[in-house]
Amino acid sequence: MNHDPYVWGRPDDAVYGAYNHAIANASSHGNVQEETSFPKMNSQQPIITGTSVNSIKFKDGVIVAADNMGSYGSLLRFNNIERIFKVGKETVVGVSGDISDFQQIQRLLDELEITEEIYDNDGGHNLRAPNVHEYLTRVLYNRRSKMDPLWNAVVVAGFNDDKTPFLRYVDLLGVTYGLSAICTGFGAHLAIPLLRQLVPDDKDYQNVTEEQAREAIINCMKVLFYRDARSSDKFTLVTLKQGQPPKFEKDLRCENQNWRFAKDLVGYGSTQL
Amino acid sequence: MNATVASEYSAERHSVPIEHRFNPYSDNGGTVLGIAGEDFAVLAGDTRQVVGYSINTRYEPRVFDVGDNIVMTANGFDADGAALIDRFRNSLKWYKFDHNGKRLSILSAARYIQHLLYGKRFFPYYVSTLIAGLDDEGRGAVYSYDPVGSYEREQCRAGGAAASLIMPFLDNQVNFKNQYVPGSDGKKKKELRYLSLEEVIQLVRDAFTSATERHIYVGDGLEILIVTKEGVRTEYFPLKRD
Amino acid sequence: MSSIGTGYDLSVSTYSPDGRLFQVEYAAKAAENAGLAIGLKCADGIVLAVEKIVQSKLLVKGANRRIMSLDNHVGMVSSGLLADGRHLAKRAREEAQSYRDQYGAPMTMKALIERVAMYEHAYTCYGSVRPFGISTILAGVDKTGPSLYVVEPSGSYYGYRASAVGKGKQLAKTELEKLDLSSITVKQGVMEVARIAHLVHDDNKDGNFELEMTWIGPETKGFHEHVPSQLLQEAEEAAKRALEEAMEED
Repeated sequence: MNHDPYVWGRPDDAVYGAYNHAIANASSHGNVQEETSFPKMNSQQPIITGTSVNSIKFKDGVIVAADNMGSYGSLLRFNNIERIFKVGKETVVGVSGDISDFQQIQRLLDELEITEEIYDNDGGHNLRAPNVHEYLTRVLYNRRSKMDPLWNAVVVAGFNDDKTPFLRYVDLLGVTYGLSAICTGFGAHLAIPLLRQLVPDDKDYQNVTEEQAREAIINCMKVLFYRDARSSDKFTLVTLKQGQPPKFEKDLRCENQNWRFAKDLVGYGSTQL
Repeated sequence: MNATVASEYSAERHSVPIEHRFNPYSDNGGTVLGIAGEDFAVLAGDTRQVVGYSINTRYEPRVFDVGDNIVMTANGFDADGAALIDRFRNSLKWYKFDHNGKRLSILSAARYIQHLLYGKRFFPYYVSTLIAGLDDEGRGAVYSYDPVGSYEREQCRAGGAAASLIMPFLDNQVNFKNQYVPGSDGKKKKELRYLSLEEVIQLVRDAFTSATERHIYVGDGLEILIVTKEGVRTEYFPLKRD
Repeated sequence: MSSIGTGYDLSVSTYSPDGRLFQVEYAAKAAENAGLAIGLKCADGIVLAVEKIVQSKLLVKGANRRIMSLDNHVGMVSSGLLADGRHLAKRAREEAQSYRDQYGAPMTMKALIERVAMYEHAYTCYGSVRPFGISTILAGVDKTGPSLYVVEPSGSYYGYRASAVGKGKQLAKTELEKLDLSSITVKQGVMEVARIAHLVHDDNKDGNFELEMTWIGPETKGFHEHVPSQLLQEAEEAAKRALEEAMEED
């Protein structure tokens, strides 16, 4: 019995013989031969998505923040997604883009952590942020080269071997770059200018205190909540400081919101001039 | 002809595939430039990386010392560029393992890179590749490639976003194209001569400041790698950040 | 030996007339004569130890680790052919990883030991392969608490409160039986295991040895880690003192 609903009620080949497709140039859908000759199909668009990840270096560490929302198109599908996670002892990874691909990345990095940190636990080698970033770059670039991308933009934060802060980006194409303030998605347009006030030049992070960095990032989360329709005001903020385990602060809220500007907005589906 | 046949339970069959294509490439801007001198060669690139109208970063090195007194750049789609250079570095390492630490000549490096590029003829590395170094006689050498590995040795070559802005300038200033001896009434071409390193560096800086003025994908910083028989050294000059 | 010359000991796929698999028994012999390994299940975790005979003075102290981690929460040590042990560990790691991947949770010890034993057993069923020449202790802490198992070359396994494999295992087991295993902590366990290892070892016969020890307990937050060198040193010094005192009493 063929259980595919598609073949129900259709003449059985065993009884009537195979259908003659040559008659009237009928299309031969359902023909196995033809189906396997389809081009290979891969997911070509993100489904449930997370919006910006925002991050900045300061004197002796890095701060990373991302909200907890998972959008299904314009639907608020989830409001409890943690998009920043720890890899190894002192590295965190923040992911925007497709949530299921993000979870795949999370599984890969969990596995990496076990193979690198548990199997050889004599000490000596540690899995650090540059290693995690390099690994992720290979994964994302190889997937894009198979035309089956992991639809994400990723920020890796942690420390170099010489204990200086490390912050670097990689996306679904395998494109990478590093600097002292990195935001993905909408944040690249709205939050980067705010953060670059603190670090106009790359090396300026050395003059930024943790408090300044934190305040700037929290401000970014608020500004993004004002203008990014796919964002929420509930977010997670992670502080990395040299020699300490990453500090996760969950369920933070954008405080002191002020929506008075909204009444003056023109266009974008509101009042027209 | 209907492309689909409706079925209950949405088990829809397609007779022709519906195509949404993922675009595996992006243009990360930047421009590069190589000039060969009598006993030196330079390879320069700006340090800006962009995508669309966004500047990703103002400092991401684009030109690399890949060993054996060879410098290399692959400008265009950055992920492909990085992958190509990684692959070349790795091959060079294995060349040494396999040949008792032998030095790879720029001539052989050039041919090898052709194979790396042509190997992906049907899914190309979207980059303009340049390498620079010294040939077996100690003269400066620059090799340039198209994305699928067609290559030639040249005196100078610009690649990347502002290649079309810089190349004519180079034709004029390095190969003295359209330059005539004063008073010869445009009859006698100016004689070719090698430029000194100082002249070349000044030329490169001028080329990049000009390109920065006119091209939005160029700017922030200029990194020049200089190859002489003493080795590779790097110089950095700021460019306008607007 | 009764098996020699009978022709029944050439393949694991041939039984002897009295129903034995001599190749499997020979494999067990390989395990019996190698350095001693001890495993202890405590109230709050587990302790593993192995006696490494110093084969050469040129070996670097502390290098060439013998106790392996299979996952965050599982340790393994085997006595016998070293390469067989490493191969088994590789397989066990793959099992633990794929379980994690499929079920999103760490593998329970019960599930892991089952797969490891099945793998070893497969090597007793075909004439083209040889059984593993190792006795293996697997110990870990999962959601059900601490557990410890021993797998033999035959693929049979048993759970224990404590066990020892390799040279001198009888004496070690006798000593382990004297411990109060229902209440002992890992910290106490480290001291006892060190004592037993030193007691069983005969310097005159086997030469010098190095003691390698790992544990899982409250101190390691559920992770399988090497015992800190300072604690290990304390344990070994205490062990030597206890031995000297016992000698004086005699």
